[in-house]
Amino acid sequence: MEKPAPLGYGLGLRPVYYDEILSSRPPIDWFEIISENYMLAGGKPLAMLDRIRADYPIVMHGVSLSLASTDPLNFDYLRQLKALAERVEPAWISDHVAWTGVHGVTLHDLLPIPYTRESLAHIVERIQRVQDFLKRRLVVENASTYVSFVDSEMSEHEFVREMAERADCLLLLDVNNVFVSSFNHGFDPVAFIDGVPAERVVQFHMAGHTDNETHRVDTHDQPVCDEVWALYEHARRRCGDVSAMIERDDNYPPFSELLDELQHMRDIDARLSNERARSAA
Amino acid sequence: MKLADFQSLFQESVLTGSGEADKPLLKKLRASPRGATPETLLGVYQSGYRLRLADFVSQDHPGLRAVLGGEAFEALIDDYIDQRPSRDPNARFFTSGLPDFMRDCPTWRDDARAVSMALFERAMVDAFDAADETPLAVQALAEYPPNDWPLLAFDFDPSLTLLELAAGTIASYDAAISEEPPEKIDAPAASDDVEYVAVWRVDHESAYRQLEPDEYVALCEARAGHAFGDICQMTAFQQSGEIAPERLAQCLSSWFQDGMIIGVRVGGDDQSSNTPSSA
Repeated sequence: MEKPAPLGYGLGLRPVYYDEILSSRPPIDWFEIISENYMLAGGKPLAMLDRIRADYPIVMHGVSLSLASTDPLNFDYLRQLKALAERVEPAWISDHVAWTGVHGVTLHDLLPIPYTRESLAHIVERIQRVQDFLKRRLVVENASTYVSFVDSEMSEHEFVREMAERADCLLLLDVNNVFVSSFNHGFDPVAFIDGVPAERVVQFHMAGHTDNETHRVDTHDQPVCDEVWALYEHARRRCGDVSAMIERDDNYPPFSELLDELQHMRDIDARLSNERARSAA
Repeated sequence: MKLADFQSLFQESVLTGSGEADKPLLKKLRASPRGATPETLLGVYQSGYRLRLADFVSQDHPGLRAVLGGEAFEALIDDYIDQRPSRDPNARFFTSGLPDFMRDCPTWRDDARAVSMALFERAMVDAFDAADETPLAVQALAEYPPNDWPLLAFDFDPSLTLLELAAGTIASYDAAISEEPPEKIDAPAASDDVEYVAVWRVDHESAYRQLEPDEYVALCEARAGHAFGDICQMTAFQQSGEIAPERLAQCLSSWFQDGMIIGVRVGGDDQSSNTPSSA
């Protein structure tokens, strides 16, 4: 499996941190942008992105491709996405196993699907068409979900595995999403990680979520919790050297706190590396 | 159930919120292993949808919130979300339709001060990410001999929007975005009085400036491609009581200084000629 080279440790690029990034050039290996935030005619967002791109690799992460929607693919959107990719030259482009609306409406959310053979054939065909249009492999992420459906014919990880293999796409493993969905639906998160094709995983997302006792919601407004760090260790053991990053989209902390979380990720990886070296010796 | 039917049902449930319409969808949900009710879990999507869109509107319209007051502003947002579901994949553009919605809607169209604020704030948002151009310095005029000046026409930055607003809109906006905004902003007085405003972008940030009536007319005409000399002859500009060429030159100088002008050419509406006549 030919995969892009690992980029190291990254952060989600958010406007609130532009000044700090440009003034201090922090020791971060790469940034991930939300593609839609830069699909604009001009102005500050693109100007800031150009300056940051001059010093850091960038990955483009979308939230509106609506891969699972039964509406026709939106080629206006895809043309804008492609134009942005030509400007940014990202290491890769990603979006989600989700839909965002039908009948021309967009709900600006990553909505769940029943894991059926029909859904699978549908999303596979659309990923293939998107890859043909963009002339590159797409990276597809597992989303957090809060409901599951009696019509589902397979587990989420079985769906993701078959989708990736049939569409020949790459995967973004969102470790927090695995945890949130496993809590909400009562599946084993370790089995999920063991079930996805590790050779196709090119990126990890790490983020915080909100605990509502009976369900958890993927809010990206908290530090990563201990249970998700534990799951990260398992994902790292299974997938090896994969680009990893922290997402934060609300309740923004001082930038140094995000750097501390990245350092925690580096420390875990260093410990795992030492363990591997000792067991190999 | 086919995927397309499922998605129609799910979307309808999110758009309309919890209620009778949810029943067919609720039957399709598996029970939560944690004891959450199906209504609660579906509610994550239903409430998230409205909260997200309301947040987009609130971010773009602090002045509108201030002049309407929190309760009326939230009622407006509810109406807008109900009647104009988002159709652009980019959330940035959800709020673009708000002023037009207000002008179309019987509940809001007679509130000129609120419509005025919405128009102004949309222009501020549009200026922020309009296409990039490089402003010209006033020295660009030195390329043209004095005989050409009456024939000069100008190209303006794509971020520039010219607005005729209810009088007091800008003062209300300034109060609303001040560091310590008062609890209640005085809305512009209900009257037929108007004020004129230019909105554009300077150094990556949206900017605005109130215009005198004659400058507003001149700027509208200049942006429509009319030549300097033609604008001087226009009745509306003549009526300002100033000596037209001198006043217009003063305006032109400030447009350059503000970074609004991106091109100069000879020939007014005829854009085929874009070089000095002496060249």
